Amino acid sequence: MRALILLALLVGACGDDHVSRTLGARCDRPDDCADRCLAPSADYPGGLCTVDCFSSGDCPDGAQCIESEGGVCLYACREPRDCEFLGPGWSCKAEPLRSDQTQQVLVCRGD
Amino acid sequence: MSRRLIALFVLVPHLALADESIAEQPADEASDQLPDQSVGASIGIAGGGRVTPGGLRLSGHYLYQLSAQDWFDGTASFTFGGGGAECFRDRMDYVICDHGFADGRGLEVIAAVRRYFAAQGKFRPFARLGVGVSVVRFGDDDVTGIAIPLHLGGGVRANVAEQVAVVAQAELVAGIGRFDRGMGTEPQLGIAVTAGAEFRLP
Repeated sequence: MRALILLALLVGACGDDHVSRTLGARCDRPDDCADRCLAPSADYPGGLCTVDCFSSGDCPDGAQCIESEGGVCLYACREPRDCEFLGPGWSCKAEPLRSDQTQQVLVCRGD
Repeated sequence: MSRRLIALFVLVPHLALADESIAEQPADEASDQLPDQSVGASIGIAGGGRVTPGGLRLSGHYLYQLSAQDWFDGTASFTFGGGGAECFRDRMDYVICDHGFADGRGLEVIAAVRRYFAAQGKFRPFARLGVGVSVVRFGDDDVTGIAIPLHLGGGVRANVAEQVAVVAQAELVAGIGRFDRGMGTEPQLGIAVTAGAEFRLP
C-alpha cells in the first residue's frame, strides 16, 4: 500500500516545472491566470501570467519585480538562452527594479 | 448384554451432546458466512490530483455471489472535492491542469469482483478488482471529462450482527480520461480509503 501511495505522489508530482497559473503560463485574459495577465504583445509574446508586486520579495522564486506595467514579476535571466522556455520572441533584457529604479536587473521580455 | 445396554445408555447422551456441539458449530461459522446478496453504503476519502478528482467519497454497493470465493460488486460512487481554477496553458499552448489532492467532483459506476480469503478471526480479508466509467468535473476551470479507471484494492469485512457487516477498504485507481477545453486524453491516478456497512438481502 505504501508503494502505491508513493507511486501516486510521484505521478502527481510530474509536470512542467517552469510555468504555472501564477507565473509564466500563456494567457489572453485575466481569468487565464491566478493574478494578472499581460496580454499578448511584442513585449509579452503569447501573453504571460504574472503577479502584481512592489518588490522582488512579492514574486515567486526566480522572478524579479520590475517597474513596467505598474510593477510586475518577470523571470530573472542571465542570457537569452535562459528565456527560450517561454517560446520564440523572448529575450533577456535589462529593466529597472520596481523597488529601486536606479538599479537594473536582467529579466525575460519580448525582443 | 446388560453391559452393552449400560454402555449404550452412557454413550447415547454423549453422542447427543456431540451432535449438539456440531450443530452449534455452523452457527458460529454462520457469523462469518457471506450472504448471497447484500447492499451497502460507505464513506471515506479519495485522493487525486491533476485531472483525478478527490475529496469526500460516498458509495453504494450491490454484492452478488458468483462463486465460492468471488462476489460481483456493483458500485456507484460520488466524489465531492473543492479547489479553484488550476488549469493553464503552458508555453507550448497545451492546457495543463494542476488540481490538488482533494479537488474536483466525480460520478462513477464500477463493476468489480471481490475475492474473499480465509477468515482471520472475526475478519474476512478480500481483494477487489474492477473497472469503472466516470464523469469528472472541475467547475472553476470549466473542464469536464469522461474516464475509464481501473480499481485495484482490498479490505476486510466483519459481521457485527446477523444481517449486518462492516467493511473497510483501500484502493488504487488508475485510468485514462478524455477531457474538453482542448486537453485531450490524460492519465488518472488516485487512491481511496472508505468504510461502511453492508446488509444481507433476503
